[in-house]
Amino acid sequence: MSLEFSDKIKKEVLDIIARYPEKKAALLPVLHVAQQEFGFIGEDTERMVAGLLDIKPVQVREVVTFYTMYNRQPVGKYHIQVCSNLTCSLLGAESLIDYLKKKFNIGLGETTEDKKFTISTVECLGACEQAPCMMVNFDYYGDLDEGKIDKILDNLK
Amino acid sequence: MEEKLLTNLFEIKDSFTIDVYLEHDGYKAVEKAFQEMNPESILAEVKNANLRGRGGAGFPAGVKWGFVPKDVDKPKYLCVNADEGEPGTIKDRYIMTHDPHLLLEGIIIASYCVGINTAYIYIRGEYENVALRLEKAIAEANAKGYLGKNILNSGFDCQIYVHRGAGAYICGEETALLESLEGKRGNPRLKPPFPALVGLFQSPTVINNIETLSNVPKIILNGADWFVQTGLPKDGGTRIFGISGMVQKPGIYEMPVGTSLKDIIFKVAGGMKDGKKLKAVIPGGMSAPILTADEVDITMDFDSLAEAKSMLGSAAIIVIDENTPILDVLKKITKFYSHESCGQCTPCRIGTNWINKTVQRIAEGQGKIEDIDNIIRLASNILGKTLCPMGDAAAMPILSIVNKFRQEIESYIGN
Amino acid sequence: MVKIFIDEKPLEVEEGITVFSAAEQAGIEIPHFCYHPAFAPEGTCRMCLIEIEGVPKLELACAEVVRDGMKVSTNNAKVVEARKGVLEFLLADHPMDCPICDQAGDCKLQDYYEQYGMLESQFSEVKEKRDKKRKIGQKLIHDQERCVLCRRCVRFTREVTKTQELGVFERGVHAEINILEDLPVDNKYSGNLAQICPVGAITDLDFRFQTRSWFLKSGDSICPLCSRGCSISVDSHRGFYRFKVPKRVYRIRSRRNDDVNGFWICDIGRYGYGYINENRLGQILSKNDRNEAINWEKALNMLSEKMKKVHPMDRTSGAVLIINPWLTNEELFLIKKFLIENQEFKNVYLIDIPDGEGDDFLITTERSPNKRGLQELGVKTKSLSSDKLPEKIKLVLAFSPPNIDAEGLASVKAVFDLAETKILFTSHENDLSNTADMVFPTAVIAEKEGSLINIDGVLQKFSPALEALGDSRPEWQILIELAKEIDTNYKYYNQFSSPEAILQEMRKEISDFGKKSD
Repeated sequence: MSLEFSDKIKKEVLDIIARYPEKKAALLPVLHVAQQEFGFIGEDTERMVAGLLDIKPVQVREVVTFYTMYNRQPVGKYHIQVCSNLTCSLLGAESLIDYLKKKFNIGLGETTEDKKFTISTVECLGACEQAPCMMVNFDYYGDLDEGKIDKILDNLK
Repeated sequence: MEEKLLTNLFEIKDSFTIDVYLEHDGYKAVEKAFQEMNPESILAEVKNANLRGRGGAGFPAGVKWGFVPKDVDKPKYLCVNADEGEPGTIKDRYIMTHDPHLLLEGIIIASYCVGINTAYIYIRGEYENVALRLEKAIAEANAKGYLGKNILNSGFDCQIYVHRGAGAYICGEETALLESLEGKRGNPRLKPPFPALVGLFQSPTVINNIETLSNVPKIILNGADWFVQTGLPKDGGTRIFGISGMVQKPGIYEMPVGTSLKDIIFKVAGGMKDGKKLKAVIPGGMSAPILTADEVDITMDFDSLAEAKSMLGSAAIIVIDENTPILDVLKKITKFYSHESCGQCTPCRIGTNWINKTVQRIAEGQGKIEDIDNIIRLASNILGKTLCPMGDAAAMPILSIVNKFRQEIESYIGN
Repeated sequence: MVKIFIDEKPLEVEEGITVFSAAEQAGIEIPHFCYHPAFAPEGTCRMCLIEIEGVPKLELACAEVVRDGMKVSTNNAKVVEARKGVLEFLLADHPMDCPICDQAGDCKLQDYYEQYGMLESQFSEVKEKRDKKRKIGQKLIHDQERCVLCRRCVRFTREVTKTQELGVFERGVHAEINILEDLPVDNKYSGNLAQICPVGAITDLDFRFQTRSWFLKSGDSICPLCSRGCSISVDSHRGFYRFKVPKRVYRIRSRRNDDVNGFWICDIGRYGYGYINENRLGQILSKNDRNEAINWEKALNMLSEKMKKVHPMDRTSGAVLIINPWLTNEELFLIKKFLIENQEFKNVYLIDIPDGEGDDFLITTERSPNKRGLQELGVKTKSLSSDKLPEKIKLVLAFSPPNIDAEGLASVKAVFDLAETKILFTSHENDLSNTADMVFPTAVIAEKEGSLINIDGVLQKFSPALEALGDSRPEWQILIELAKEIDTNYKYYNQFSSPEAILQEMRKEISDFGKKSD
């Protein structure tokens, strides 16, 4: 099965590639686009991106496994990433993580059966003044407590 | 009321749009730089202001720009370090969110000074929404002719692109940032050669922090002397202090360099939360050695903190209370560095993981008394022996905590 | 030139070299893993840290360029402590595989451990578990637990073969060298990966569990399997007293030669040493005295008698000489002087080794080691496969190469079928030995002394890397003995006590011989 970008996405990707004097430099942004499009970076995606940028698939794998934001397996529609670093922990992140696990009845790194939510922990998100905080896909939510979490997540379609 | 050099527009509605920015002397510095000054006079101004880097290392920006050779037949690049991964640090996010044009103006002036036509803002992948705002601001600046070809009829071209990272603290290190920008793993490079000579795509490159560049427009508008008058003689201007942890009012506060740490915690940030007592403070982001409650009577500037064997770093203050076991703090620190190690060099790759395993074991109640000296020994074997500063960034806080809170850690052993 | 001090010893060295190279010149080897002279400094193992006077932090010897007046210490207390620290980190994550690891005895980790006396482990954690015994190439076994992440292998596939099969995946302590599952290491130089790995992370399947490195002795030689003439190291077993060892040569490794092959050899040369061990002829065979052991003196006597019997009138048409392009320059010179000129063998044929696939790196299409020697000596030969044979052959002397193939054998047999007296010089047993009247066992290049000229005209001298098998002798020795018996100018050969002497004589006669030599 060979994967391809749609024409619209391909144009976006070509615009990205044009920003750099070397095609290879577009790898990280293009992988983000691919992840948005296909949900995760699988082997097919690795090869397709490698072909697009004139690099070897092994170079793509090297990058995908180095950076934490690239998912090598599919994740739920909403990827809940809770910060477990110092300040958030000082302000109760640990118990919120436990709460989330109980709420959805899954462990860390796991996805709900309806494929809607995945929970992970991440390192510092750079929003320590709103600790404890979490990132759902790309949206930041801070000053959390169990009630707030319920309000935010229950409203997500 | 102290003058706000960087955050003065933050509270204004739509401050991030170019129209509002222009209403508040926006892009006047660019106009002055292009129409009344030249690259040499701009460099002299920034050098005289002794603008020190606000990313962590504190290297003077003017000196850094001066390292780039003038006549080379390669394109030069500016990389703006918006990776902001140092735990506790939040300031750059605020600048990019509330006053992106201030940053863009600084980038344009810096590029004009050094002869750079392409600038990349390397922004951490998690800041996607911030990246979108930056891209919008760049489009606005292009539309108004402050970016693009022949800016203000000067014959000078400049373009800024936003490049997203993907979750790696190490990419905040300047050479790892370059590697990541080139589409590779974020492995720091051996220095020499230095980026000013061999940087991005083998070309001369300047790498500056967001806050550093954001100071440039006002330095150009008001002059180096004005900048030096705020703050301290060798360390001028303000810092956007980020404060978080067990305080009433966590957040960002722009204050002159040299403000007392005690004042920031107990006056500006409203003091301890819920009436707790102070136990320790990390003054400059997680990589800064910890200060005990007795050591917070100190001014927040590079030299004072260096003398106290800590560092100003990213001016991110984390306040820890007496109810927090120091072992929990240590656990988070060792886990972080072990997770973020790129894995290239032996001491950091294996040492951070070894120390982390030991600390986790102590936290689980399986510690032995020899573990503490072992941690000190291992951290000392990392300190100064690694390829990049992250080894020191890991070893120094660990050593400071184990040395200053040794008794408390010993109490967790044998329980 | 700059003047520096290493461990208080003054040295004058070229500008621009690293402290590591300068130390090497002073006979000091600074411990290292990731450094390899074929690649730019990597600086990641941190083992080569040294102290420079006036510099507070320890610096890397592999990357630091010498400066005039620099004072370096490679073994003071601070340096040794740093070294021990790095070593301890590596050992902490290293499995206790020495008893089953092929690298044992040849392993940098073991060597440095021994040197720095690390005896007690202070590692109380659980070691990381990783994948072991994975086949990542046709001849390569990979063990991720033993890997010290020096990345020499990755750099090799990136910079030398440019095939880039290997990469570093994951981050931090989980970083591992790996391939994509369906893209294993698949290039003609893969064996070099096992050789450059400083520990037993990448090992050679060919050598796996065969023997221990301390039972082997290394000898320098030249690879004869194509015209490149790469410098190699032949590792042969020292032998046991009590029982016979199944092989003589256990492996071939590359040897550095900046004029010929750089640091590398191809897999054909590396794994093609079976001919040194297998099917060797170790004794003289004579059709007449099959039941009696015959010694060299008697055999050469018999041969000289047979040769004298051929009437001078018959020499021109009825005497055939078959030679091969494995013969050394010295042997070819003797053949020219003695057999072709003095004994008037006019029908000289060459057993051609068929061409193979070359590449733009080391492998040449021409698969014989000394065609150039033939050319430079001006030895004219006819092709056995295409040129006409004389109708009646009184005597044929055939020098058969070690890797003669079926076609070669058939073409020699065709000559043998037409000949009255058939003399064979061969290193290996083959069908011809049954039909020949006398068979003389010869040594192979790895067992000989002599010189060869490679495809670029570079003359390379070599000495025996191991003893000749059984009773076999190098062709140059046989030819001199024979010449002394029947050459009219036999005294001429008394000066040739060694191939070196022959080469000197060659250079006197042919002024330009091996012009591009070492």
